[in-house]
Amino acid sequence: MHHRTFLHSVAALSAAGLFLTACAPGGTTAATTGDQVAASDELSTEEVTLTLMSTPESGAATEATIAAFEAEHPNINIAYSQTNYEDYNQSVNLNLSSDESPDVVLLNAVGNTVKNDLVIPLDDYADLYGWNDFFPSNQLNQWRVAENGSTLGDGGTLFAAPAGFSLVGVYYNKKHAEELGIDTPETVEDFESALAEAKAGGVLPVQLGNGEGHAAFIVQLAGQSASGADAASAWAFGHEGQSFDTPENAAAAQLLVDWADAGYIPDATTVNGTDLQGAVENFVSGEGLFLVDGIWDAGKVAEGLGEDAGFIAFPGENTTGIGTSVAYAISSRSDHPNEAAAFLDFLRSAEASEQQFEQGFMPNDPSVAVADAGTLQGDIVDAWAQIAAENGLVAFNNNATATMNDTLKSGTQQLIAGQSTVDDFLDSVQADWAKTHGQ
Amino acid sequence: MFARAPRGTSGSREQKKRDFVPYLYVLPALVAYSLFILVPWAQSIWTSFWHWDGIGAATWAGLENYVAVFSNDDLSIALRNGLGFIIFYSVIPVVLGALLAAVIAARPRRGTGLVRTVLFLPQILPLVAVGVIWRYLYSADGPINQTLSAIGLGGAARAWLGDFVWAYPAVGAVGTWVSTGLCVLLLLSGIQKIDPSLYEAAKLDRCGPVGLFMHVTLPGIRKEVVVALTVTLIAALASFDIVYVTTGGGPGLQTIVPGVLIYRLVFTSNEVGLACALATVLSAIILVFVALIGRLGREQT
Repeated sequence: MHHRTFLHSVAALSAAGLFLTACAPGGTTAATTGDQVAASDELSTEEVTLTLMSTPESGAATEATIAAFEAEHPNINIAYSQTNYEDYNQSVNLNLSSDESPDVVLLNAVGNTVKNDLVIPLDDYADLYGWNDFFPSNQLNQWRVAENGSTLGDGGTLFAAPAGFSLVGVYYNKKHAEELGIDTPETVEDFESALAEAKAGGVLPVQLGNGEGHAAFIVQLAGQSASGADAASAWAFGHEGQSFDTPENAAAAQLLVDWADAGYIPDATTVNGTDLQGAVENFVSGEGLFLVDGIWDAGKVAEGLGEDAGFIAFPGENTTGIGTSVAYAISSRSDHPNEAAAFLDFLRSAEASEQQFEQGFMPNDPSVAVADAGTLQGDIVDAWAQIAAENGLVAFNNNATATMNDTLKSGTQQLIAGQSTVDDFLDSVQADWAKTHGQ
Repeated sequence: MFARAPRGTSGSREQKKRDFVPYLYVLPALVAYSLFILVPWAQSIWTSFWHWDGIGAATWAGLENYVAVFSNDDLSIALRNGLGFIIFYSVIPVVLGALLAAVIAARPRRGTGLVRTVLFLPQILPLVAVGVIWRYLYSADGPINQTLSAIGLGGAARAWLGDFVWAYPAVGAVGTWVSTGLCVLLLLSGIQKIDPSLYEAAKLDRCGPVGLFMHVTLPGIRKEVVVALTVTLIAALASFDIVYVTTGGGPGLQTIVPGVLIYRLVFTSNEVGLACALATVLSAIILVFVALIGRLGREQT
């Protein structure tokens, strides 16, 4: 075919395509809601089937809870389904806006889901069931969203109910600590001297894999243990006028650089070329005195290190932890929001809490979290209690904006490899934040 | 050439009908192509003029997305990386492919078929699988480092994909590994079409193996080289799978490519309009390169 004719044909066909699609992409109307039902704790007596979507990691305990709920409500049947984490996040909003929307969904981030009214506000149910009295405020704040759709925390509308909690703290190898004569550190100074002693004793002080950006945990924990949980939460929740460029965060980023320079973490290339799971494997094989990681890996660490596995909250001026809840929301298209809310309420029952604890999460009902002192699980329960007592739980900085995870990943990789300065790092993080939350 | 039969008023309708018939044969393919390629393509261009989060109502953006694309710092890095991949995805494989094809074609030996199959194998693997395999090969205690240690080069061992200097060539080498087999096969088919008498004549003129390659083989496979360059160049500029699986664009932004940025814009930050604008710019760049290569191929005639 002659080239000019070919180009003309392409142009003509494209024009035709434009005419065919000459309307705004996407929906033009707001999400259609299911049957309009007033919030109530009086449940239907007819046969009701609820569909629930989750991920394997977060959903295992939830799935195990269903039988107990169905036993209590014989007319309600819950159909459980799951997809892996990444696919789930990509498809959850499409599922919620489809005609086949599930009734109850795992909510990993409020972002686009809440902005498009795909899930219903839960405040009426929180009042009916007394969730606000049951949960410490900072355990629900993460799911409270202000009018603007991006600021989280106190005063916002509640969109999800927790099923259980995860926590990021510091694992340590008790055998190494004993051999080196190191006591469990409680202050920043203790921690620093423990690192120095480990280095001198020929043990890698901190195991770290930053292939996916998990050094950001260290920066966040060091920063918020100095600034306190409230200031850190205000930034993570996107409160107006906040900045990441604080003296505490600058010191925290500098800490990471110092650790790299002092050889407290593996060399930059190894750190950046190892993912979190690789670091966990190295840690349980004995490489490293400390590992900063979430309790989602507690099973693996306990299995690998046995009695030598220990866990503490990040040592610092303030006792804080990074935490988030596995939380569920109700679709705007659900025909049975009352029954769905009853299931959300059931998630704080003793039965549900036991399942969560067994799967490695901190349960909604803390009274079921009982573990033998001296075991890894016992250490985690202690740390969780200390952090809860100081109201020190802060949401993940990685979730401060939709793109923050990528920004923190490339930022910490550059920082550790000496490719950027602490100031560059703070600036890039704050620039990302400002794009979503304003200057 | 014969002149076309003069169109009488009586023959005109018959003639028109005959002109129309070939299009009927093309029609099924054209419908499928329009439905699955052209319409989505046009739709993606159309979407690039809107602010759209992929779910809710869209608002008209005009050229704002394009302004955002060109003022994005990450994009210039991504484009530079994509252009650099042309060396790994296109240039090295075509050069290597031409040499290998010439060697294979020079004297058919037993096992040639096997060699061809092995070389082509990377083409039939999904790129995601290729990425997973190479991520393992490159890992800190992976086979490549084990081999280096075994032969006394332990000092050079490193977590290749985490290294600010080596991650880029390491990812590029995966592209070379994938593309070379395709180039060998394409160029081999070209060599086999060359008239053997040309080689005879060149040999009579005392051409050595290098001379034969430069004066007979290379000119004879020019068209195949253009095809190989076009296909691999598109793969380089539109690369996504291998980068996403091996490094995700890291460390830092060392291996970021436009494909990964587009993916992030759609699935991470839900800026579908912006992603479409970037995709449109990327396809325009690719079209320019493809046109340039096509021209090069013609002008050397």
